[in-house]
Amino acid sequence: MRIESVKQLVALQKELQQQDKKFARKILVCYGPGCLAAGAEAVGEEFVKQLKKRRIKGVSVEALKKTGCHGLCEKSPLVAIEPDKILYTKVKPKHVDAIIDNTIRSGEIIEELLYEDHETGNRVAHYPDIKFYSHQTRIALRNLGQIQACDIEDYIRVGGYQAMAKAITKMKPDAIIDEITKSGLRGRGGGGFPTGRKWATCARVDESPRYVICNGDEGDPGAFMDRAIMEGDPHTVLEGMIIAAFAVGANDGYVYVREEYPLAVVNMQRAMDQAAELGLIGDNILGTDFCFNLHVSRGAGAFVCGESSALMKSVAGEIGEPRAKYVRSVLKGLWDKPTVLNNVETYANVPVIIDKGADWFTGIGAPKNSGTKAFSLCGKVRNTGLIEVPMGTTLREIIYDIGGGIQKDRPFKAVQTGGPSGGCLPAEHLDVPVDFDTLTRLGSMMGSGGMIVMDDHTCMVDVAKYFLHFLVEESCGKCVPCREGLYQLHDLAVKVSDGVAEDGVLEKMERLSKSIVIGSLCGLGKSGPNPFLSTIRYFRDEYEAHIRDHKCPAGVCRELITFTINPEKCDGCMACLAACAYNAITGKKKELHIIDQEVCTHCGACVSACTREAIDVA
Amino acid sequence: MVSLTINGKVVQAESGEMLLTVIRRLGIDVPALCQHDAVEPYGACRLCMVEITKESWNGWKNYVTSCLYPVEQDLIVQTHSEQVIELRRTLLDLMLARNPQTPLIQRLAAEHGITKTSYTEVVEPDDCILCGICTRICDAMGFHAISSVNRGHGKEIAPPLHQPPQDCVGCLACALNCPTGFIRYTDDGRTRRIWDRTFDLVTCEKTGQGRVTREFAAFLTEHRGIPEEYFRVNDESHRKELAQTMGDITNSTREE
Amino acid sequence: MQSRLVVNPSLCIGCRTCELACSFAHAIGGKPTLSRIHVHPGGHKDLFVPIVCLHCEDPACAKACLVDAITRNESTGAMELDQSKCVKCMACVAACPFGCTLHDVQFRQIVKCDLCGGDPACAKFCPTKALDYRSIALMRTAG
Repeated sequence: MRIESVKQLVALQKELQQQDKKFARKILVCYGPGCLAAGAEAVGEEFVKQLKKRRIKGVSVEALKKTGCHGLCEKSPLVAIEPDKILYTKVKPKHVDAIIDNTIRSGEIIEELLYEDHETGNRVAHYPDIKFYSHQTRIALRNLGQIQACDIEDYIRVGGYQAMAKAITKMKPDAIIDEITKSGLRGRGGGGFPTGRKWATCARVDESPRYVICNGDEGDPGAFMDRAIMEGDPHTVLEGMIIAAFAVGANDGYVYVREEYPLAVVNMQRAMDQAAELGLIGDNILGTDFCFNLHVSRGAGAFVCGESSALMKSVAGEIGEPRAKYVRSVLKGLWDKPTVLNNVETYANVPVIIDKGADWFTGIGAPKNSGTKAFSLCGKVRNTGLIEVPMGTTLREIIYDIGGGIQKDRPFKAVQTGGPSGGCLPAEHLDVPVDFDTLTRLGSMMGSGGMIVMDDHTCMVDVAKYFLHFLVEESCGKCVPCREGLYQLHDLAVKVSDGVAEDGVLEKMERLSKSIVIGSLCGLGKSGPNPFLSTIRYFRDEYEAHIRDHKCPAGVCRELITFTINPEKCDGCMACLAACAYNAITGKKKELHIIDQEVCTHCGACVSACTREAIDVA
Repeated sequence: MVSLTINGKVVQAESGEMLLTVIRRLGIDVPALCQHDAVEPYGACRLCMVEITKESWNGWKNYVTSCLYPVEQDLIVQTHSEQVIELRRTLLDLMLARNPQTPLIQRLAAEHGITKTSYTEVVEPDDCILCGICTRICDAMGFHAISSVNRGHGKEIAPPLHQPPQDCVGCLACALNCPTGFIRYTDDGRTRRIWDRTFDLVTCEKTGQGRVTREFAAFLTEHRGIPEEYFRVNDESHRKELAQTMGDITNSTREE
Repeated sequence: MQSRLVVNPSLCIGCRTCELACSFAHAIGGKPTLSRIHVHPGGHKDLFVPIVCLHCEDPACAKACLVDAITRNESTGAMELDQSKCVKCMACVAACPFGCTLHDVQFRQIVKCDLCGGDPACAKFCPTKALDYRSIALMRTAG
């Protein structure tokens, strides 16, 4: 059933909306990454089973939607009931009966499944009233949690592909590029390059064919914004790419999905198949002359292939090594042809901008940073999850209002943003607005949207060591400064963490970092020393404690900490003895246990096993 | 034509030329270990980095690999500024950690005042500096027998799956262009051994010695149109044959 | 192409001055390299033949070179080997049917006649004009 005209598309949307109105209530089970990991599938299957069995009027099994990421991953699995906007948290299959009997039949709310506000202790029934949600503005993530994931009909029902229809039937390519330029949309992958300018440069090159590529190689540890969009709303990515292709004159496009996202690989392909079936990609889209073919290209497990020139080599089947960017890839990219490469989230914004206009977009966010940004908020916050806020929102608002503050009310120590290439900012910068430019001035960067919150039990030397290790593993190995330099920088960081670093190590690391930054071929190397440079900027005393005093103040670095059992708290329950794999603990039942420091490897198993909090780490 | 300044001297260059070509033409010694004119510049060793600026940049400087940076009008280049020397020194210090026993690296490092690396030396070092010249030449010639494998610090040059490469024709281009002699081979004029493969040379009917392997000769015949009989004898015998032929012709005209 | 190196073996006395001239014309660091021209006995009494690259119209050496290191100099007509591009695979040495691409063992390079860029030393020093670098137009009128 091909859609041959805009009229047909609008007619289909109306038809789908009519069908949707028939549902008395809808059950939206979140199938986002967090919820799936917490067991959403079992919940979904139980709902399907029960709905089929019970045959409730106005709530057939079609009223159940398996959606993309609703957002509040900390409380997964999540189930939302529409139109009431009730949100149930930590739902298990055993709760399904009660939900159907009470909430679905008569709108009655089940208290114990509601979100509990940690400040007031009150249960909140409707998710728009939860601060986690009320402080957000969802544009790129607008459909996640609202429609059936990877379903073209549900996408069309909420207006999908109409921006594309408007673009290719009513606008000229130049006008589209103008609109995107005026909107101030900047690359959401972290680079922040003005998207309109990139498209304009590509469109001007006198060379063909041209390509558009979507960078779905989200490699930053802790980041899953692009994953959620590719899994939960792949059609918005496709729609954005079709508009981009029309604007720059490309007829072929690739979505590069990292191998570690198998569901995203499947869903992007499914979405392409669905769109092709309806004639929304392929030849003569919507009855016009415009032809555009899309393909999924899979990564093979290399973070460096998120770098644009390495990505293009990978798509071409070559080794994913970056090349020097003196000739930009927008001029000579995939197979040396003009190529537009944009991030998943960037494309997700495009249909909305075409639909609502550049002025609407610039009205959101901050000067020179229009629109919103999606973040994956992780770490020691109460409300971890996937969020989207206007540019310019402060770190404090994100961490405390949306994030609900630090778990157990521990002191905030730092927030790491921008992935391994980013940096850590301490409490003194909590009121800084989050955008492309401000964080960079302070030694960090907004990056692609990973945000990891740390408390006083985090050692910044350990954090630097972790990210450096990641980069050493992921370096492509082509150039000397990154391959050898980061390796040696990490080696020195390990020595600091182990308390065996020599005098002058920090100056040595700073000098080495400078050479790596200047000398490296690509962004991975150039920003590689950032984990060290940003932590040493704000936490130099912590480094010095490791070097001078052989102490880890946060109690993390294994070589520098001692585990002792507190005689006042130990009640001799023998749990730690059982947990210790090295038999380092001795003691009889109901007698004080003792850790043999010669044998102890500081693995921490005893601390996890002890329910009396009797083991001190210092 | 483009005019630019290198180390204070104004020079002319062809548009499209790389900075390194012009720098070398001036006789300035800038190391470039991964550079080989038979293949495209690679930008891996970073030793050829130079400092560039323009008057319009208001004092801002950039550091680029001269092997890959095309000449620009009014560019101001410094090949041995303090920052560039410091960078080169660090690069060689790092390379010495990977290849502490390699004479080429030892010599270059010593020229920059380093006799021993200040970093942690690699355990069981070898002479491969990962310049990629061997693989790039093998690819340029069309054989693709060896490649760089593994990522990052564990990168090495090897045939697929570390097995004797079936696509290798034993031309020795990799070994003969390796800056450190890391790639080993044996050649006694009749048999050649490289990458754990043994090759028979096409031997001259007169002298029994050969210069190319059977596989390489077969490739040249099949893909480059060199008739098989050209390989029958070696070059010295070819010259003698030609001399005999020309002698016969000259002699016959002499007699007339 | 205007000029050609014309070889007339009947005038050659086998003095090998051409070999010396060539070696020194292509010296590296003052040291003479392998001569690109070699005088061989012609197989008959008092007959000597200088053997040197014929700069063929369809050169086997260029066809054999997989990295395009051997190219035509349009003004002199000579096939020139670019040392910086050469990968020393010996394909050209093996392919030339006249053996005029040579392996200079001492300097570890492949060498061939390049007509000295338009002023060949061998012809300049040949005492008998057995080697003569002259323009084709002249040749034609000479019949």
